[in-house]
Amino acid sequence: MTKASAPAPNDTARGEPAAGGRPAPDAPWLRALFGHLVRTRCIDRRMVQLQRTGRVAFVGPVTGMEAAILGTAAALEPRDWLWSGLREGPAALLRGMPLDEYVGQMFGRSGDTGRGRQMPNHFQHRGTNFPSWSSVIGTQIPHGVGAALAARRRGLDEVHAIYFGDGATSSNGFHSGLNLAAVWKVPAVFVCIHNGWAISVPSHEQSAVDSFADKAPAYGMPGHEVDGNDILGCHVAMRELVERARGGAGPALLVARTYRLEGHSSADDPSRYRAAAEVEEWARRDPLARFQRLLFERGVLAPGEPEAIERAAYAEIDAAIRRQEAAPDLPLPSLVEDVFAGVPAHLRRQYADYLDLLSRRGPPRRA
Amino acid sequence: MVIEFKLPDIGEGIAEAEIVGWFVGVGDHVEEFQPVVEVMTDKTVVEIPAPAAGTITEIRATVGEKVPVGRVIFVLDGAVPAAGAAPAKAAPVAAEHAPLAAAAAPAAGGAGPASRPGPRDGGRILAVPSARRVARELGVDLAGVSGSGRNGVIRTADVQAHAAGPAPAAPPGAAGFKPIAIPPGPGQRRTPFRGLRRRIAEAMVRSRQTAMHFTVVEEVDVTELVALRAKARAMAERDGVKLTYLPFIMRAVAKALARYPELNSQLDEVAQEIVTFSHVHLGIATDTANGLIVPVIRDVQAKGLLQLAAELQDLVERTRAGKAELDELRGSTFSITNAGNIGGTLATPIINFPEVGILGVHRIVKRPGVLEGPEGDRIEVRQYMNLSVSVDHRLTDGANAARFLVEVKGLLEHPGLLAL
Repeated sequence: MTKASAPAPNDTARGEPAAGGRPAPDAPWLRALFGHLVRTRCIDRRMVQLQRTGRVAFVGPVTGMEAAILGTAAALEPRDWLWSGLREGPAALLRGMPLDEYVGQMFGRSGDTGRGRQMPNHFQHRGTNFPSWSSVIGTQIPHGVGAALAARRRGLDEVHAIYFGDGATSSNGFHSGLNLAAVWKVPAVFVCIHNGWAISVPSHEQSAVDSFADKAPAYGMPGHEVDGNDILGCHVAMRELVERARGGAGPALLVARTYRLEGHSSADDPSRYRAAAEVEEWARRDPLARFQRLLFERGVLAPGEPEAIERAAYAEIDAAIRRQEAAPDLPLPSLVEDVFAGVPAHLRRQYADYLDLLSRRGPPRRA
Repeated sequence: MVIEFKLPDIGEGIAEAEIVGWFVGVGDHVEEFQPVVEVMTDKTVVEIPAPAAGTITEIRATVGEKVPVGRVIFVLDGAVPAAGAAPAKAAPVAAEHAPLAAAAAPAAGGAGPASRPGPRDGGRILAVPSARRVARELGVDLAGVSGSGRNGVIRTADVQAHAAGPAPAAPPGAAGFKPIAIPPGPGQRRTPFRGLRRRIAEAMVRSRQTAMHFTVVEEVDVTELVALRAKARAMAERDGVKLTYLPFIMRAVAKALARYPELNSQLDEVAQEIVTFSHVHLGIATDTANGLIVPVIRDVQAKGLLQLAAELQDLVERTRAGKAELDELRGSTFSITNAGNIGGTLATPIINFPEVGILGVHRIVKRPGVLEGPEGDRIEVRQYMNLSVSVDHRLTDGANAARFLVEVKGLLEHPGLLAL
C-alpha cells in the first residue's frame, strides 16, 4: 500500500461518503458530502423541535460539530468499524444507516432496532459496523481496541475508528485503550471530537496540555490536531491515519478542534456556564457555512441549490418522522426478550404476573 | 382534529414550568414547528413549537403562571396531521430559522438575538420566577423594572437593584446634550444598556452631579496590622471564618465616625435637614459578575471583629450569588470601597449618594520606611496602605474629612486600640 505524505487540505479527496469504495475527488462527491452536512443540521433542528413538544424524550444536538464527525467518518471504508462516543449518529447515516432507523430509535417504537433498550439519540446499526454507544465516558475506547486486536488476529482488513470527546481524555478507558492499542499496534484510529467543553467543564480545567494530541506520544503513537470545522482538512487527515493503520503502522490519535453550538443535550442550558461571546465567535466559524462558501467558490454548488437540498432534507426527515411516530408500540413480549437466548423461567413468571395485572387493572395510562 | 397540547417534560424529570411568554394569540394560524410559547423550567428557558399545523383556539395558561407537566396549556384546531406539509412550504422554517444561505453571513452590526421580536411584545412582562417572587415580597411593580436577561427578561438582581436604588433620574449623561449615536459597523458587540448596569450609571451620575466631591488621601503604616491579622486569621479559621483586613477597617471607620458623626449623615432634601445617625451601617462595595452591588453590614459600632468577618463573608458570598435579601442591600450610612485586592494604589471614590462619605481602601505594599527612635532615624522594611476618603463638601469640610482620616489611620497603625 502506498502512503502519501501529509496531503494539503485542498488535496483531492478520495473515498465515498456513501457506501462504495471508488475514488471520487469530484464534484458529485463533494455535493454528496455537503448534502450529508445539511441533512445532519436539519435532523438536529427537527429532533429538538420534537423534543420541545414532548414527541421524543431526549436529544443531543450535533450542530457546529458536523464537519469533524462527517469529514473523518467519510474516510472509512464500509468494512471499517466506528465506535461512537456520543454524537456520531450522523456518521452512521453517512455510511449508510437508513434514516428511518435513526428516527425510529428516537421514538422507541417498533421501528427502533434497539427495541427501546437505549435512551433516545443512542444509535446502533449493524449494517455499517456501528455498535450501540454508551453515555458512560470512554468505555467504548477499550471495546474498540479489543475489537481492533481481534480483527488483526483474524486477519481481517478492518480499521477501527474510535470516537470520543475531550472529556473522555481524562477517563480510564482513554489511558488503558491508547496504551494497549500502541503496545499491540492494533489497526485503530482514535478520534477526539474536541469541542472545548465536557458538558460544563472547560478543557483547560481538565488538562494542562496545550493540545490533547500531545498525549499521544506518551503512549507511543502519533497525535495530530486539525481544525474540526474544516471538513476537507478533517477528511484528509483522517484518511492518512486510517491508511497508516491499515498498512500495519499502528494506531494514531486525531484531535478535531470544534465547538458545540447548542446545549450538551435537550436538558442543558449552556448559557449558565459559557459566555455568549464565545458562542457567537464559534457561530461565525460555522462549518456548514464554511463548506458552502468553498463549494460556491469552486463552482460545485450553484446559488439556490443549498436551499433546494435543505427542502429535500426536511421532506425526507418529516416523512420518516410521520412513519416512525405512527409506528405501533413494540410488542409486549419484547420486555423479556433479547437479554437471554431464550426467555428463562423467572422472566416467564414475571411476564405472566404482568399480564395478570393488566387483565385486572387495564392497560397503563400513557403520560 | 383537535389537539389539546399538554406541557411536556422538556427537561429530564421536571415537574412544572413557568409560562414566560406567548408568541401567538387565540385565532392565530400556526405551522407545525412554529414557536408557540416560551416556558422556563428550573433548568432553562425553552421555546415550545406547534405539534402540528392549525389554529390556536384556546390559550389556557397565563404569563407568569406555573403549570405542572401534563396540563393542557393550549388547544389547536383544524390540525391536519400534515403528511409532508411542513417541507412542502419553506415558509414556516424560514420564519423561525434563517435559511442556510443566510447563515453564511453573520448579521451585520451584530444585532444578535435581541433582534428577534421578544415575547415582551404585547405588553407582557418577562421575568424569571425568583424575580417575580422577590418583586411580590418587596411590592415592586415589574412594569417599571428594566431587565438585563436574555430578551430583556427581568432577573432577581434587576428587581433588587430597582428597589434598592433611588428613583430613576434622567437618562445618565443625557442632561443638556444631544445623545450620541455610534454607527453600527464590523468589530462591534452591542449589549443593551439596561438592568443593573443602567442602575449603576444613574446612581453614579446622580451622586457626581449632586454631591460636591472632595477627596483626602492618607498613607497608613499597617505593619502591625499585618502581623496582628496573620495571628488572628489562624484563630478565626478554627471557627470557619476567613478574616480579611476589611473587618479591622470597618471597626476603625465605626470608631472614627463616632468621633466625627457629620460624616455619618445624609441630607433630607425635602425637609432641608441634615440627618445624623447614631448607628453605623456600612455599605461594602462589592464587585459581582453583573456589576457593582453594595450590601450593607448593620450596626458595625456594636460588633466585634470575628462577627464582622463572619457576616461579611456570608453577605458578600450571597450578594455575588444574587441571593442577598433586599433589606441587606439598602440603608447604609457610610460606605467602603475596597479595590486593594484587585490593584491600584490610589483612587478617588464616588460617594454612595445620599451618604456624606466613602472610604477607599487600597493595596498594601512593602517598602522602606523611616522610623524615629530614641537613637535617631532608622530605615526598616514596612508595609503601607493608602486610604482615600471622598466627602460631600456641601455637608462637611475638608478639615473634618482629614481629621476623620487621621483618626482611622491612628487606629489602623496601632490596631490594639480597636479593642477599646
